[in-house]
Amino acid sequence: MNKQATPQKLDLGEIAARLMQASADEIEALTELRDALGQCADESGSTAAPSVKKLVTAAKAKLDGLLSGEAGDAEQALAAAIRLTCLATSPEAVPSPAVGEPELDWSEEAAMLEAASVSAPSLRPGKPTLLPADPDLDLIGEFMTEANEHVVNAEAALLTLEERPDDAAAVNTVFRAFHTVKGVSSMLGMTALAELAHHAESLLARIRDGEIQCTGVYANLCLRGIDLLKETLAAVSAQLKGQDAKLPTGYAELVRELQNPDAAAQQAALPAPPAFAATAPVAAAAPVAVAAPVAVAAAVPALTPTPTAAVAAAPVSAPAPAAAPAPAVARPAADAAAGGDESSVRVRTDRLDRLIDMVGELVIAHSMLAADPRTEVSRDPELSRKVGHAGKIVRELQDMSMSLRMVPLRPTFQKLTRIVRDVAKKSDKLIQFVSTGDDTEIDRNMVDVIAEPLIHMVRNAADHGIESTAARIAAGKSPTGTVRLAAYHSGGSVVIDLSDDGGGLDRDRILAKATQKGLVDANKSLSDNEIYQLIFLPGFSTTENVTDISGRGVGMDVVRRNIEQLKGRIEITSERGKGTVFSIRLPLTLAITDGMIVRVGSERYIIPTVNIAMNFRPEPSQVSTVVGRGEVILLRGELIPLFRLHQLFKVDGAVTETTRGLVVVLRDGVGSCGLLVDELLGQQQVVAKSLGAGIGKVPAVSGGAILGDGRVGLILDPGSLVALAKESRTGRPQPEAARPSISPQPQTMVQA
Amino acid sequence: MSSQISTADQSAALSGKYLTFFLGSEEYGIAILKVREIIGIVPVTPVPGTPSFMQGVINLRGKIIPVIDLRAKFGMPTQAATRETCIIVVRRLDLELGIVVDAVSEVRNVAAAETDAMLDLGGEISAEYFLGISKADGKVRLLLDIDRILSTEDVIELSRR
Repeated sequence: MNKQATPQKLDLGEIAARLMQASADEIEALTELRDALGQCADESGSTAAPSVKKLVTAAKAKLDGLLSGEAGDAEQALAAAIRLTCLATSPEAVPSPAVGEPELDWSEEAAMLEAASVSAPSLRPGKPTLLPADPDLDLIGEFMTEANEHVVNAEAALLTLEERPDDAAAVNTVFRAFHTVKGVSSMLGMTALAELAHHAESLLARIRDGEIQCTGVYANLCLRGIDLLKETLAAVSAQLKGQDAKLPTGYAELVRELQNPDAAAQQAALPAPPAFAATAPVAAAAPVAVAAPVAVAAAVPALTPTPTAAVAAAPVSAPAPAAAPAPAVARPAADAAAGGDESSVRVRTDRLDRLIDMVGELVIAHSMLAADPRTEVSRDPELSRKVGHAGKIVRELQDMSMSLRMVPLRPTFQKLTRIVRDVAKKSDKLIQFVSTGDDTEIDRNMVDVIAEPLIHMVRNAADHGIESTAARIAAGKSPTGTVRLAAYHSGGSVVIDLSDDGGGLDRDRILAKATQKGLVDANKSLSDNEIYQLIFLPGFSTTENVTDISGRGVGMDVVRRNIEQLKGRIEITSERGKGTVFSIRLPLTLAITDGMIVRVGSERYIIPTVNIAMNFRPEPSQVSTVVGRGEVILLRGELIPLFRLHQLFKVDGAVTETTRGLVVVLRDGVGSCGLLVDELLGQQQVVAKSLGAGIGKVPAVSGGAILGDGRVGLILDPGSLVALAKESRTGRPQPEAARPSISPQPQTMVQA
Repeated sequence: MSSQISTADQSAALSGKYLTFFLGSEEYGIAILKVREIIGIVPVTPVPGTPSFMQGVINLRGKIIPVIDLRAKFGMPTQAATRETCIIVVRRLDLELGIVVDAVSEVRNVAAAETDAMLDLGGEISAEYFLGISKADGKVRLLLDIDRILSTEDVIELSRR
């Protein structure tokens, strides 16, 4: 204020902006900005935090150095000045020196910034930020995808390392994950990620160089590092979506631990010095870790604790009978490492969908050509050979394009490994997790929907299914429980079997609980299977003590809903004392629906076969009306409501006499109903598609499919169809008599 | 008339290339940039539970898109399809939609000087669907506001999925 050297007073933000626009040789502009900084520094002395003043002064000093020609590299000096000024504009990003903490030396900071501008990983002190002020959204988006993949791989590799701490490939996978995240995130200015990854990488580098072993405390530290990385990534994506995200809790703490991992190791493994952890890894690990060697064949040492170097170095060779079927976790990780070399291209899913659409069209176009009378009638062997050849290519192309959407279940299963490990650790049980068939492929869109129920069920199996170690020994079983997950193809579907060798479902307890909650009639006799199905009812939970892991009575109903949403089924077999098997049967892909094509008047509709219980032509005696409106049908002593599809959809020219039509009995989760149609045209696999964004949600229709003649057929949604039918019945009397007088296309309401 | 300047501005915004088509004897125009393609009439599958101007869905090379009957939308009497009946496929953001018209005419350059703002014709004529009127060559062509047609409340209501 004392001298008006600058035409107008600039605030720090403006100075920063101008500095960014200036180049190092624009002496005049820079001088002006330097003076402005000086002015700011003078003023801020009284008002702003002392750190701001320091930053501004440091920035001014940089510019001074530049202008006087003392700075070695003018560009670098300018860059440092810009960063210092930017920091000063957001004082909340600068830690105010807390009591007892030494004040940060900002000239050191400036020196560090210079170093940072040379070497990529910038580890400036100050609060790490999730995103820079001006994020490059494209690059960050790509980076997030990549980082998440790395995290998944690294997690799997770490679990392998628990089993075989000397697996160099696994160490490299983890190292690479942190390394890549560090490099890219610091380039993009995401300092929180960069810093975390940097320290984790340092730890991994020591493991890689053989200085320390990835066991016990170090292994836990690595896993926590991965977890934190995941959380931080999640926070970044939340912030990208415009939500207010913070650094995950425990960030600072873990970063500190990662910086000095030996301290933690020493604490846990007194008196064994951490450098020699390799010689006594089991002892070095905290007791909890020993109690839960999930999928680790070294489960036996936990009972006979002989932490010798021999056992540690080759835990796989330890005699663990139950581990024989499959070296569960080790293999996927090894595969993943090997698979990393396969070259791949990332393609946007909408392009993929479009390609599949086009191939579907090609199939139809070809079959129209092949079925054309001129092709058939000509009986020209040459022509039919050519058509046949084209048909082969088209079919192969179709198979190929369908397979593009398929992904292996492996990543899903890997997550589950982790869950079993955590549950075992928490509940102090010995559980071994065995998964087979994790290379079984399912539709990409189904993976996310199936992951949730699987997590829930695996958690249940580990928490409730497997008994406590003492109970197992008392029952004469192996102390180590087994949770087994097997995926395989069977008859055009994917089957996922989840089995445990725990106590099995308690038939009487389930029944008692269901009766107590009024979910079932106490006097009704139920088969075992019917009783097991009760656990899928909403609000059902038998476990006596609710743990923080599971047992809150929400869950199995959601599991069933998710599976049914995928047009799948779930079955239970259980034997008391021996264990339980949940069998999930899913279609290969959501895109293809197995459908029954029915005709009503001149329209054709597709009913998903999975919803059809049966169909039959009713006898006149089977159909009766209720209060003159509703119709019911008597089927094997059971009354089910009958709805007429032509009425619901207002289709003209359809069969109205029930005895001349056909009744399709639909079943969904709740009950069954009959649907009157004209006739069945046959069963067909159709590619389910959306009806297009413009038409919105159509009641009772889940989508459309292109039929063999190129026309669109509507796929019925039995659940909402029943709802619609009931609504039309309760809403108003069926306008059966009045209907013919209404014109087929009631005119629109264009009311201005 | 009352606000000359704003009318001139509006007219300037209206200038550009238009695809013109017929509904009965009336000629309409759609800004060419909104048009994706024109196809001949194909079998339309009616969809129950939708407004009657929503004629149904069609198969556009493997993709299912809804089709609007513009006659029904404007409250004009429906007419059986002829050889000249066409579906104009328009796009707005990710929304693709077919519009059934009686016949497609031509692509014309509409100059700002030849256009007027939409008149308030009163009654049931829904002026909101139109950007303005072109009066070139002494003929009246109604310039369709396709965004408006696709985003009028009934469609918005429908596309909440």
